[in-house]
Amino acid sequence: MTMEFLQTARETVEAKRKLLDEFSNLYKALSVASGYHGYIALDKELIATESELKITAGSRSIAGVRVPSLELQDSPNKGGMKRYNPVDTSSWLDHAAQLSGECLRAIVELAELQRNFELLAMEINRTKRITNALEYIIIPGLQATINYLNMKFEERDREEKARLKRVKVLVVRG
Amino acid sequence: MPKPLENEPSQTQSGQSLCEKMLQECLRGELRVVNAGVPQSQKRLSTLLNEQYPYVLCNDGSTHFFKRSELQYLASLLEPEEQEALPLPILIELGANQNEATVICGGNAEEKIISIMLNMPVVCQERRIRLYKPQLALLRRKLKTATVYIFSPRTNA
Repeated sequence: MTMEFLQTARETVEAKRKLLDEFSNLYKALSVASGYHGYIALDKELIATESELKITAGSRSIAGVRVPSLELQDSPNKGGMKRYNPVDTSSWLDHAAQLSGECLRAIVELAELQRNFELLAMEINRTKRITNALEYIIIPGLQATINYLNMKFEERDREEKARLKRVKVLVVRG
Repeated sequence: MPKPLENEPSQTQSGQSLCEKMLQECLRGELRVVNAGVPQSQKRLSTLLNEQYPYVLCNDGSTHFFKRSELQYLASLLEPEEQEALPLPILIELGANQNEATVICGGNAEEKIISIMLNMPVVCQERRIRLYKPQLALLRRKLKTATVYIFSPRTNA
């Protein structure tokens, strides 16, 4: 589980960095596109690009921990903005559209990784608490009980011996 | 120390002490808990590719979901007849030895997949492919939903 946790942590950092880079590239591409077309024309073109995103969500188990599994479903426009008129737009907007699709994928990937990371961390903490409770409370408690019982049995054994001696003395006298 | 009572033998007929037996029962219970997420059965890659939402049922009644992108990646590596033969999820057995794991291998398809993933030839011995920790991390990184851990008391020796 620790190996999976470390792996997920590494992947989460990587995915976050990738997402930030892609957002930065998208921002630049959109800035260039809006500079080329103008805000009003770009708004007009992009107004029809809103599309429904389909994400398949399921779950899987990592060493007994149930974690979510998310996947962006492939759509004809790949989740990006591709319903604008290609005649009235430039390749700058095509580039921005392509980058927006990649950003969406990266967001879904990061969401999954981050949730997995949290769940695995919680499970590791829980296991650690159980181990600590066993090590410092339950096992010492059981050992104390065993010692107490051992002492009690020894005491009973000594009493029994003393009683037998006393009976033997009485039998000899009688 | 008081002696154990004579009418309560501390050793069973097989030579195991009662304490050891109880410990084994406890461990068996723990193994059942950690293996609750193991799939009840495996499905062939070709079957999963034809399903809208590819999944298998687990022992605890939950579902194990496969990512379509992973299935398509596996399909791209294998011939159609190998796709028919590859059972998924691939089971990775973790035993008492924590430094290595074994992949339960039913045929050549698993062997081919693992050797491509690790970029090195692998040997299947007694239906098992032995992997070391870094290799396991590499495999899990590439096949997250197509592989599943199972815990067993075997020593992998």
